[in-house]
Amino acid sequence: MGGWWLFLFAVLGAAALLFTMVFFIIMFSDLECDYINPIDLCNKLNQFVLPEMIAHAILTVLFLLCGQWFTFLLNVPLVLYNANKVNKKNHMYDATEIFRTLGGHKRECFFKLGFYLLSFFYYLYRMILALIQESER
Amino acid sequence: MSDQQQPQLPPGWQATWDQNAQRYYFVHIESGTTQWEPPVAVAEQQPVTSPLPAGGPGGVHHARRRQYAAGQTQAYLGADAGMGYGQPPAQGAPGDGYGQAPVGQQGAQLFTPGLEGDQQLQLQQGQPQYYGQPQPGYADAGKPQHGPVDQLVNQFGQMGMGQQGQKPFQLHTVNLVGMPIDPRELLADPPEMRLPPGACISNNPMANADPSYQRCTLNAIPTTHSLLNKSRLPFAIILTPYRSLKETDDDLAPPVVSDTVIVRCRRCRTYINPYVTFTDGGNRWKCCMCGLANDVPQLFDWDQQRGQPADRWARPELNYSTVEFIAPSEYMVRPPQPPVYIFLIDVSYAAVQSGMVATATRTILESLDRLPNIDDRTKVAVIAYDVALHFFSLPPGSTESNMLVVGDLDDVFLPQPTDILVNLTESRAPLEALLGKLSDMFKDNHAVGSAFGPALQAGYKLASPTGGKIIALSANLPSLGPGALKNREDPKLLGTSQESKLLQPQSSFYKTFAIECSRSQVSVDIFLTGSGYSDVATVSGLPRYTSGQTYFYPSFNASRSEDAMKLAHELSTLLASPIGLEAVIRVRASRGLRMSQFHGNFFVRSTDLLALPAVPWDQSYAIEMQIEETLNQPFVVIQTAVLHTTSFGERRIRVVTQAIPTTQNISEVYASADQIAIATLLANKAVERCLSNKIEDARDAVMNKMSDILGAFKTNMTAAGSGASAQLSICDNLKLLPILLLGLMKHVGLRHSSQIPSDLRSYAHCLLTTLPSQLLIPYIHPCFYSLHNMPPECGTIGENGVIMPPPLPLTSERLERHGLYLIEDGQTMFLWIGRDAVGQLVQDVFDLPAYDQLRGGKATLPILDNPFSQRVNAVINKTREMRRTPYWPHLYVVKEDGEPPLRLWALSGLIMDRADQTPSYVQYLTQLKDRVSQGAGGDSWYSELNGAVRM
Repeated sequence: MGGWWLFLFAVLGAAALLFTMVFFIIMFSDLECDYINPIDLCNKLNQFVLPEMIAHAILTVLFLLCGQWFTFLLNVPLVLYNANKVNKKNHMYDATEIFRTLGGHKRECFFKLGFYLLSFFYYLYRMILALIQESER
Repeated sequence: MSDQQQPQLPPGWQATWDQNAQRYYFVHIESGTTQWEPPVAVAEQQPVTSPLPAGGPGGVHHARRRQYAAGQTQAYLGADAGMGYGQPPAQGAPGDGYGQAPVGQQGAQLFTPGLEGDQQLQLQQGQPQYYGQPQPGYADAGKPQHGPVDQLVNQFGQMGMGQQGQKPFQLHTVNLVGMPIDPRELLADPPEMRLPPGACISNNPMANADPSYQRCTLNAIPTTHSLLNKSRLPFAIILTPYRSLKETDDDLAPPVVSDTVIVRCRRCRTYINPYVTFTDGGNRWKCCMCGLANDVPQLFDWDQQRGQPADRWARPELNYSTVEFIAPSEYMVRPPQPPVYIFLIDVSYAAVQSGMVATATRTILESLDRLPNIDDRTKVAVIAYDVALHFFSLPPGSTESNMLVVGDLDDVFLPQPTDILVNLTESRAPLEALLGKLSDMFKDNHAVGSAFGPALQAGYKLASPTGGKIIALSANLPSLGPGALKNREDPKLLGTSQESKLLQPQSSFYKTFAIECSRSQVSVDIFLTGSGYSDVATVSGLPRYTSGQTYFYPSFNASRSEDAMKLAHELSTLLASPIGLEAVIRVRASRGLRMSQFHGNFFVRSTDLLALPAVPWDQSYAIEMQIEETLNQPFVVIQTAVLHTTSFGERRIRVVTQAIPTTQNISEVYASADQIAIATLLANKAVERCLSNKIEDARDAVMNKMSDILGAFKTNMTAAGSGASAQLSICDNLKLLPILLLGLMKHVGLRHSSQIPSDLRSYAHCLLTTLPSQLLIPYIHPCFYSLHNMPPECGTIGENGVIMPPPLPLTSERLERHGLYLIEDGQTMFLWIGRDAVGQLVQDVFDLPAYDQLRGGKATLPILDNPFSQRVNAVINKTREMRRTPYWPHLYVVKEDGEPPLRLWALSGLIMDRADQTPSYVQYLTQLKDRVSQGAGGDSWYSELNGAVRM
């Protein structure tokens, strides 16, 4: 199972996640330059934290359902990491601590950005591969 | 010879190097006597090479005018040389030299016109001497002699020499093992700061910040980050910019610049201060932080009131380190707000029964006149709450108040738009009537439960348009509506690694609500008088982020007059103190320095901006600094600006400027470290560690920091280097740091114990992070006085008020079985009485016939008609008054054979003793020594250091 449509969906999903991360990073550097105050920043970003995690989890579950084992395993660590954060209730940004934890948040965002970028191209490759296979058949 | 500075000696003396002792001893050639101390006659000896300038009397005169100390000594030498002209006194001691002097130093002693000219020039420029090592320090007989390293200090010290001929920096190394502790040294000033001559354009002694306003852990800042790292000392500033003034301390309010000419650097926005330089004929000034040349505005030299030119050098901002500017409208977001006080009073069954309501309302009623209300703008509201909210409408002109009850706790609303928050002056009559009868109104209230959260929200709704202060009194654990808390205290967790869970907030309400409050400029103070678990850990989050304070009265009962007295005193002091509303604090520092961490009660709004809805008096903030790039300037400036609205509606900026010299020399870094500031900073950091990790980790971190500092000192500064050594050395100015940190580790907030309720711990944490150094040091290192045998003048009025007995080291070895002692930490006082106290003593102090009849516990001492009772009372009252504090410590009478908990509590103040799981001071030093010796073996940073030192 798992035709080109799955990877088309994944490509779109990864692109969306990619943009979310870029948005996060821009907001963090705005905070550092004092263009935005920490309360507004946290209110804004916290709206996107759970949607981002859920979107990524849905993609992963889709891979599982479609039997794309390798792609699924690639995504599992991040899902677990997110789940752990939610479980410990420290997934939301805290305005009172934000300056103390800013470095860590930025590092995390850059890591996720890299991950989504790589997965974007991987999904694209898989989509094309699936399309070619389809046309050959 | 070449590596040891040798002192100047009077004729007939010889200095000889002792290899074993690594110091000079002195031989009187004629009598053959030897001694370790330098001969006394050296005291005024001229340290400068040439005994007499070639210019003769004229030259001497010249020099005298230029350089005060040097001039004096030259005059002395002149007289000396008058007897044996051309016979320099030092010639009598052939071994004598000038350390750095070239081989032909004898020649230099004779008159070399060229050299003389040089010296004259140097004197005129107020510059240090290169040939002679000015060593007035040797006059201090009995001080330890210099090691090889100290010589470097001396050399460097001269570079920072001021015009007054300061002593060169001396690093006195002491051995901690076996060193007696003198608690009086805790009151000493921080190490002297040696600014380069000409750094300050004012001669005013107040031109550099007083330590009570701002102090730095290092009074000489290393120029590079690696040097700072090598010393292992923390680098931070401790601020109390808005501190109270105590008449007894000869305190003066900071001068006010009233002409709204606020001169600031265009680029870095630094306020003009005594450390700028004027260039271009006084038309421009160079910023001391970024170096930008700014124009001096014309009005700077103009007296607007008299309409005539004014003397620029008399302006307060160029003469005082702490000044207040009156800010023009550019510094306002909106017109100055009036002071707003909203009282939330718990009127549930428990609160009424404990007498809290009666005490609080009476105190507020009596304090109405003391509330800041100069221009009749102050607004007040009273909300009573139990399971519902009771608002009071206080229409001006009437004498009665209407009660409006709101029972909807999930969606709080104000029952009517006006007359709840009223003007204090206009609605004085109904307000007084209400406060007078409030406790009677609710005296039969049987409601159990506390809508604390909804009451806070109601107060916030009232205050948010203007901002202001909410003073919340609660006698229960919040149980209804938003912010309701569970009783989660579990004695089984105490003393385990799970304990820190109880110290973390259980609900996020108090944090998110605090952020809303901070945004609307609302500050919250909380008074907790509950008899059971009050969850200080959660509730205190609200004052923490809104720059308020938590006050905690465990098992408060107003029927004990001491309890009522304490609450009344602290509440009325809070009400009477002026507040700075809508404040922001910004700290600026010279290029190369960066603020990295902020500790204290405020909300960090931007990387270097702290938001405080109301600046309270006497709260301390700690700011850690980083050295980002090499500091090239001879001194750096750290400036704190507090922009606030005063209670009389003026927008003001309080500016505290501190200049600190820089150094490349590690021994100078050590010699100028301020142990009080370091202990204050580490208390803040330890509390933070308690909350984020475990209490055990916090103690370990403190211990590691201490052993790190000792280890680094040993590797860098002592001959033993990295090897094991029987000594545990540290410089003289840091010698009390180990005991302060031991006190911190044994403090209620950090001590290992399964007996301390989490409320007490959390409250101790609140105090540890907010108390200014003056209060914090006794809080972690209590004062211990012996009263029964105090000298006769103690307790009587002396020049500086009541004379206190000498403090004793904190060990129970000093407790005699017949004695009377006072142990106080600024929050509680224990009057310890030994079991064999003579009847006369008990009679004189307690008015009781014998020791057996005395009862332990909270007490008020009677004032009796005998001198000893009056002296003891005077000492106790002085203890309560001598610090800048709103706190009123309880007095407990502790009998040596009384109740064990109270006895152990009192004894826990004697931190040099061994208590169940904590080491004694001697054991602690042994632990430190072991760590330092072990650390010398493997750790990577140690080996790094060793490498650096060998180079």
